[in-house]
Order: sequence, then structure tokens, then C-alpha cells
Amino acid sequence: MDSLASGNLTIEVSGGADAVVCTWKGKSNDRHPAQVLAPWFEELLADAAGRALPVEMHFEGLEHFNSSTITALIRFIQTARNRGVRLVFVYDQNLKWQRLSFDALRVFDKGDRAFELRTAPGGGAAGPGGATA
Amino acid sequence: MTGEDTFSFSIDLPVRNEWRHVELLRSSVESCFQAVFADLDGKNAISMVVGELLENALKYGNWDSEADRGSFRLRVEGDHHRAVVIVQNPVVPGDACVTEVLDTLAWIRSFRTAAEAYRARLLAIAGAPDVGASKLGLVRVAYEGNCHVDAVVDGTTLTVTAQMTLAAPAS
Repeated sequence: MDSLASGNLTIEVSGGADAVVCTWKGKSNDRHPAQVLAPWFEELLADAAGRALPVEMHFEGLEHFNSSTITALIRFIQTARNRGVRLVFVYDQNLKWQRLSFDALRVFDKGDRAFELRTAPGGGAAGPGGATA
Repeated sequence: MTGEDTFSFSIDLPVRNEWRHVELLRSSVESCFQAVFADLDGKNAISMVVGELLENALKYGNWDSEADRGSFRLRVEGDHHRAVVIVQNPVVPGDACVTEVLDTLAWIRSFRTAAEAYRARLLAIAGAPDVGASKLGLVRVAYEGNCHVDAVVDGTTLTVTAQMTLAAPAS
């Protein structure tokens, strides 16, 4: 699975036997972010489903995203659930904007572990794979 | 800024209607507030508000008339207690986009809190087909920016005003 670089945003893909880890960096401020993100998400979910792995998305290093990106993420959550791919979002609870944005997404956590929100240990410095519930 | 009693700030800019200018202005306002305030969360909040309101103006404004384009304007002003972000953009009076802005603000006010409105909007997006506009930006300004948002139409100009409370400035 290739990493994504578009405008001011990069999403680096890494990981091993436990999860497909995607690390967001920079800013997601495109006018139509879904045009780039949606097909990339499709490929990501196909890759994860093929290897029977969950997808772990790290937002701690993200500086800013616009509301159109939030909309694209909501559709991604829905699609992942429909495809049976477990999805984890990890964010920095010490950043108020991340805490507010991601806490609100708990409306999509139905307690079935299909979609989980986790805070990075010790704030935003955590690397991928080090998230705690 | 000569003292606690006279602390104030004001940014007032005409804006050209290009998408890349949103990030230029959003990050510029962010940098200005980082230089003035110790409240980094406030800096992030006000720059988010600037970004969302400018994006809305570009998406839903009327950019057909060369003369009207001059009415696209960003103002950020306030003091050590509050900040106000004002975005003006040209519109076609009675246009569906104008009605949508006013309806969205009325919809937000129908909830007890902006947080409830925001969560309701997230669920509505999830439950609706992908038809483009999510109408999330204004709700995010109210919720995440903790802003009171108003809009008025005067002729061919829409003015959206977001007022927020700030933490104390750096000493």
C-alpha cells in the first residue's frame, strides 16, 4: 500500500503483522479532499481486508483539517464498517482542537470494536502502535 | 497595545477569491495569535474559524461579477476577552446558498448546545448519500470554535460574524 501525498497533506503507511498503520502529517485543506482521499481509502481497505488486518490511523501529527476532510473521514468510517475492516483513530488529547473533533466522532463508536477512538499516550508524541485506550 | 485596559487587535483585509488564499490567511492569523497570546488552543480555534468561514465564502459566494468580487473581505478584531471573525462575500440575494446559511444558523440555535448540533450533523452526514455539501463548516465554527455565529444579507453582500471568548493574553 502506497503512502499518500497531496497538497499540504501526507499519509504515511507502515505497519507489520498487527495493523496497517497510517500516520497523517501536515494539513488537509483541499477544496475537495474526498476526491483524493476516497479512492485512496478504498485501496487501503481492500489491502487491509485482504490481509485481515485492522487499520490504525494516527492524527497526532496533523496540524489542521477542514470540515470537508471530516466529512470524508465519516464516510471512511461507514465504508470500513460495511467492509468488516476494524478501524482505530488515534489523536492527541492535549490539543483541544483534536480533542473536540475526535471526541465528537464517538457517535460512531457502537461498542462493537469496529470503530474505536484512542488517545495517544503522553500527548501527541506517541509513535504508531503505541496507542492506549 | 499599550496596556491591559487598551489591549486590542484588528486585522482587516480585502481577499482575492482563490482557494489557496484560505490557507495563506488561516495560517497568517494563526501566526499572529501565536505571537500575541499564550493560549495556543485559542490560536488553533480562531484560525479554524477563519478557515471555515473563508472556505464557505469561496464555495457559496457569487463570483460572476467583477465589481462584486471587491466585497470579499476578512476582518479579525477583539481584545483580551474576545475575538470576532467577520467574513463578507458577494451573493445573489435570495439565492439558495444564502438561504442555506441562514437556515443552518437557525438549525444550530434549535439545539440546546452547539455540541449537540455538531453530533447531529455528523450523524446526518453518515446517514445521507454523498451529494457534496455537508454543511458541517458553520456547525464546526459554533462547536469547536465555541462561537456565537450570525449572518446578515445587505444587498449583494453576505456578512457572517463569529464571536468567541478568549483566554487572557501573554504578559
